[in-house]
Amino acid sequence: MEAINIRYSTMAMLYGVLLIPIIISIVLKLGTVKTILISVLRMTLQLGAMGLYLDYIFRFNNVWINSGYVLLMIAVANFTVNKNAGLRTARVFFTLMLGITISTLIVIALFIFLSIRPEPFYDARYLIPITGMIVGNCMRANVIALERFYSSIRKNEKEFLTYLLMGASLREAILPYLRDAVKPALAPMLSTIATLGIVSLPGMMTGQILGGSSPIVAIKYQIGVMIAIFTAITMTTVLTLLLSMKTSFDNYSILRKDIFRQ
Amino acid sequence: MVKFDKVTVEYDGKAILKDVSFHIRENEKAVIYGKSGSGKSTILTTAVGAHIPSGGKVYFNSAPVSADNILQIRRAVAFIGQEPVLGAEKIRDSLLLPFSYKVNSRKAPPEDKISKILKELHLKEDVLQKDASVVSGGEKQRIAIARALLLEKRIFLLDEVTSALDPESKQAVIELFGKDGYTIISVSHDPDWFKTCSIFIKVENGKISRISDSPDDSAFLTHREIDTDGSN
Repeated sequence: MEAINIRYSTMAMLYGVLLIPIIISIVLKLGTVKTILISVLRMTLQLGAMGLYLDYIFRFNNVWINSGYVLLMIAVANFTVNKNAGLRTARVFFTLMLGITISTLIVIALFIFLSIRPEPFYDARYLIPITGMIVGNCMRANVIALERFYSSIRKNEKEFLTYLLMGASLREAILPYLRDAVKPALAPMLSTIATLGIVSLPGMMTGQILGGSSPIVAIKYQIGVMIAIFTAITMTTVLTLLLSMKTSFDNYSILRKDIFRQ
Repeated sequence: MVKFDKVTVEYDGKAILKDVSFHIRENEKAVIYGKSGSGKSTILTTAVGAHIPSGGKVYFNSAPVSADNILQIRRAVAFIGQEPVLGAEKIRDSLLLPFSYKVNSRKAPPEDKISKILKELHLKEDVLQKDASVVSGGEKQRIAIARALLLEKRIFLLDEVTSALDPESKQAVIELFGKDGYTIISVSHDPDWFKTCSIFIKVENGKISRISDSPDDSAFLTHREIDTDGSN
């Protein structure tokens, strides 16, 4: 069963529907008309480009192109993490990249290669969208974890020093901050998992059902993906924090101030 | 024991300590005084490697402080600030926190040792059951001291350690640190505390302006007087 295609004329009509929020914005003087137009334009261009290159990637379905694309996704996500966590890219980029790459690859191996087992194993139809979902969530979790971890050690400099003076090794001294950083990074995904199917109908499942899959197949994928994402974000936050310590603390186990953008 | 040799510490390109030199020998008790923001506390934190000097060197037992020996130095030194960090919800857990670290894991103190130290610091035994959030600033300072004593530390860096204590507890702390066997570098403006010290170091704008065996008149200015004196 194929999904019903949306005609270009219908697409034009859908864009026309945007007049409703635009009129509301004008009437209430929300001042968001420009932002709406720019955002919709950006979405159209970004998704248009994505549609084109995904079409291209799916057609070639080459192991090197697919792997390269996965790495590109990870690298772009990592740039975003660096920027939004307020860290200097030059200082921590490679250690963070290592953390997110290791955890993503382990989860992809477990979920796609061992569970779904597509033929060929690098099949872009599975590898690209599933990796995208995993990396996107890892990115969000890493931003929270890194920002919390480093800003909290920076803010509690004397507390951190007290732990070191009580005999804690660097690993032992960072542990309370690591816990306080990882928990909020995992919390949104945990509550999403708990309310899935009640509060929200997951996007992936909806997409699969619209695409013609049976609801049971769609649910199996959705559960698998949620487990994969949660495992990946747990691994990536802990691993990224631990790996980033190598470059973020000086020889005296004191947090380097030059890792921060400001 | 602790020696600063022309130590300069910079932060964001601005010198917080400039050419600071002094030498505190074993069992000596020194007090650093000066206006707020003059760099007094930075001297204490630099001694335990919280700042790497951009110039000069810090020595511990004649050895320059380096990445190789900083762990050993930190394990020998106690730092107790104005608002000590307890690090756990219950006071008992906070006293025993250092013994959860690998290096101290075999040194957990027996109950009678804990009781003896609490008594020495005029702390009641029931403080152990209290939440860290309900104890007073003065109790926190004494709990931090008790913890350092449980770790059998002999070198103390004390930042305004008597500031939150009632007269009786202050006397107990002063008597304790007045004993031989403790090497002390402190920051204080408390005349009673000054009586236990024999070396008086005056700091102005990150520089040592005077080292003597007696303080000058500016030493006992209250915080209010210091703050209205044009400093930050």
